[in-house]
Amino acid sequence: MPKGAKNIIVKMEKVNKWFDDFQALCDVDLTIFEGERIVVCGPSGSGKSTLIRCLNGLEAHQSGDISVHGTELRGDAQSVRQVRDNVGMVFQQFNLFPHLTVLENCTLAPINNGKMDAQAAYDKAMTYLKRVQIPEQADKLPGQLSGGQQQRVAIARALCMEPKLMLFDEPTSALDPEMIKEVLDTMVSLAEDGMSMICVTHELNFAKRVAHRIIFMDKGRIVEDQPPADFFKKPKSPRAKLFLEQILSH
Amino acid sequence: MELRFFEIYRSPEYLGIIFDGALTSLGLTIASGVLGFLLAFVLAAVRFWQVPLLNYISAAYIDFIRNTPLIVQLFFIAFGLPLLFGYVWPFWCHALLALTINFSGYFAEILRSGFASTQKGQLEAAAALNLSNKTIFNSIIIPQTLIKMFPSLSSQFIFLFLTTGVISEIGVEDLTHAGLYIDSRTFRSFEVFITLTALYVAFALMLKGILQFIFAKTLGRRVA
Ligand SMILES: Nc1ncnc2c1ncn2[C@@H]1O[C@H](COP(=O)(O)OP(=O)(O)OP(=O)(O)O)[C@@H](O)[C@H]1O
Ligand SMILES: [Mg+2]
Repeated sequence: MPKGAKNIIVKMEKVNKWFDDFQALCDVDLTIFEGERIVVCGPSGSGKSTLIRCLNGLEAHQSGDISVHGTELRGDAQSVRQVRDNVGMVFQQFNLFPHLTVLENCTLAPINNGKMDAQAAYDKAMTYLKRVQIPEQADKLPGQLSGGQQQRVAIARALCMEPKLMLFDEPTSALDPEMIKEVLDTMVSLAEDGMSMICVTHELNFAKRVAHRIIFMDKGRIVEDQPPADFFKKPKSPRAKLFLEQILSH
Repeated sequence: MELRFFEIYRSPEYLGIIFDGALTSLGLTIASGVLGFLLAFVLAAVRFWQVPLLNYISAAYIDFIRNTPLIVQLFFIAFGLPLLFGYVWPFWCHALLALTINFSGYFAEILRSGFASTQKGQLEAAAALNLSNKTIFNSIIIPQTLIKMFPSLSSQFIFLFLTTGVISEIGVEDLTHAGLYIDSRTFRSFEVFITLTALYVAFALMLKGILQFIFAKTLGRRVA
């Protein structure tokens, strides 16, 4: 836990989630404090994406409690909107709006959500585009950028909403190897600024460097929740051991 | 057989008839294209948002239009409805109404499938950004649909233009009507219909060019 943190930003209690009769999350309990950085890993299909998608209401849970930044997600539109106001999300496939310029991608939500006027939104977008080091691409379309650049735009777009929590779902998995670093560097600098983040990734060096805790999931359950040093040195569960062996072997 | 195009081309009367017919065909096509497109937009939006009742009416309307011949629709509107409701309109008004309704069914189906095929990832990103449904529809779904569906909309429009010749059947003096009239006066069928064919091809290419120009100057700029 980061020094001096006491405000809880995410609280999940006994959360269960089904897709029809398949249970994707089983009795998930998770508490995250402001400023904490969590890396979520685990085998394919273990429920990592489902977990973070439940946190901004992209998926609805069926039982248990989830609250984010003090708002409880009760399945109604209003609480979902309130939570999304505080949560930014970055997707594996970037999901930029291809017909809008980089700048328009960044200003669309702030302007239309009534958060700020066009000038303020523009200033904010340029600030964050500088942050992710692509202000010179502001007037290009996403399709004219490399994958790494697109993902950095996606990060800037989310930051323009001034989120309190950032969710990343395998942000580097769709990238060519030479572009992974630039995206991870952006995320590291975000971490250094104290952003609360939950990141699904298998980039273990990134995890070692920035994560306060590593969460390992298997079959919809959280089976480990430890600081990286402990997780990598002495995973408690045989499942995590096997997972680490497989991942470190290539 | 001896070709005698000059029998048509040297006659100011025939040239005038062809010119007027062409203007009528193009004018009615463009007007019903624009009106039909606007109506199609409403039809497709109603289906996309699943507006109660209207949703089903729209679906039935689209299916009905696309599964009946234009000429039957035309006769129904030109002869059936006026009898039923007792009104008298000039021929071209019947044609405008029938073509608008016909075009709208085809455009609506294209727009509907475009709206529905918006990528899931786009909608999720929009939802995560807390965009309102209105913003998602206006700023993401509509422009992406128009970009993606432009080729289909454009070729559908050209195809519909080529079917407008049937309005001559209700007495509208369009380009086909001009050909039929000159043919009946000169018996130069081959020359007349070669001329007509060339004109339809030229106008189809012209309309296509205009649409492409408009697209390139607007949404086309938003394609990487
Ligand atoms: N929309 C859905 N409908 C039905 N089943 C789903 C749906 N989304 C996910 N699942 C199932 O839920 C389980 C967990 O999926 P999830 O995407 O959370 O896994 P993951 O840990 O993110 O895997 P990956 O590493 O492959 O991304 C999987 O078995 C998946 O098939
Ligand atoms: Mg996943």
